[in-house]
Amino acid sequence: MWMAHSSSPYGARRIALACFALLLVALFLFPSQIQGLLQYLGGPVGYAVRIPLEAIASIDAGIADRWERYVVLQGVQEENQQLRKEIEWLRGQHSQLRESAAATERLTALLHFKEQALPTMIAAQVIGRDATNRYRAIILNKGESDGIKPDMGVVTPAGVVGRVVKTTGASSVVLLVTDPNNAIAGLIQRTRDEGIVQGTQQGLAQLKYIPLLSTLRDGDRVVTSGLIGDFPRGLVIGTITSIDKQEGALFQSAELMPEVDVGRVEEVLVIQTSYGQSTKAGAGVDLIEKSVP
Amino acid sequence: MKFLFYLILVLLLVPLQTTLLPHLSVWNIKPDLGLVAAALVGLFAAELEGLLMGLAIGWVLSLFSAGELWLSLLTNGGVGLLAGFLGRQVSQVTSISLGAGLLLVSLASGLLATMSFKGSDVSQMWWMVQSIVFPQACFDGVMGAGFYWLLSRRFDLNRLRTE
Repeated sequence: MWMAHSSSPYGARRIALACFALLLVALFLFPSQIQGLLQYLGGPVGYAVRIPLEAIASIDAGIADRWERYVVLQGVQEENQQLRKEIEWLRGQHSQLRESAAATERLTALLHFKEQALPTMIAAQVIGRDATNRYRAIILNKGESDGIKPDMGVVTPAGVVGRVVKTTGASSVVLLVTDPNNAIAGLIQRTRDEGIVQGTQQGLAQLKYIPLLSTLRDGDRVVTSGLIGDFPRGLVIGTITSIDKQEGALFQSAELMPEVDVGRVEEVLVIQTSYGQSTKAGAGVDLIEKSVP
Repeated sequence: MKFLFYLILVLLLVPLQTTLLPHLSVWNIKPDLGLVAAALVGLFAAELEGLLMGLAIGWVLSLFSAGELWLSLLTNGGVGLLAGFLGRQVSQVTSISLGAGLLLVSLASGLLATMSFKGSDVSQMWWMVQSIVFPQACFDGVMGAGFYWLLSRRFDLNRLRTE
């Protein structure tokens, strides 16, 4: 019987206890060294786990795709009509913004502003969610071998998703903007007041440490300030939905609705170089998708 | 053979836990299959294998989580070890007793994780306990009991355990 107990149970018990005690002692005495060693050893394990992980993720994506294409078709016509209306409205906005962009370009050239170099990005697919319930995180199918490192910012064209906290050889873990352990430097676009964006336990986000004199209001957009971390300035984080201003408090705070629906995100872009570190200085714009998932 | 089984178990746990289980989550809570697997291995294969498998599961799962490595090692390894000890002491294990045991162990590990969260005040900790830790412990207990019941339909588990 392959599940039979060891022939010398007391010996095995002693060994097990000794191993566990040794592990506890090592974890308490050398926490960062042990963590670093196991993280290093985890690199090759990431490649091994990636095979079944990607296989199951692709099956999962295939089923979800079939389900959405053929089964969940209720209300598609209404949605289609609404989207057509939105396209019309956005076309109008687009032409206005093109005018504004052209004007800005002319003025920038006149003022000899240095063009902002956009960062280099790596495209990646979401292949899973955090293994525990305590963190809001996603798993990407790109890792160290693709140039991803901890603390890199992760975005979609719509806005900020989160930042990389862990990597293996072939995968990486991204802590979402809605996780309470995440903190990103934010800026209210209209008033230019800065604060720190942190996730809430309810799965939303909040902007903290806003100056008391700030004239923020519901509907104001919050973008990255570009001061701390690997996010360039101006990426949308969310929209203010409510303001909390308490008597006697030094700062006010506001609740945000994240711009990206992080529960449904499937593809993301990892910001590889931070703001201002792009290589082609003369080119001005350096938005390279190094690889496609 | 046994090593291969354990290897496949560890490799399959990650996609199951990170890709499939989110679809089966209830109120955004999913069970911790790693904890259930460590407990079952400990119960059937004694404390040393329970501990080693718990550590392996904890380590591999922590690579795919934003959580702390030490906590994952401690909880999964500890559960494997504890289940190994209990497996020797308890003569008759039923799916209900296993479920109740897993509920308690999951509750304890969840409380430990909650207390280790940096910067949380009492109200946040209480929120985590009632909306994450307790439902997950119930879920883990039900999953463990369900697995045990399914296995007991196929094998004579008590004989297998005492051999």
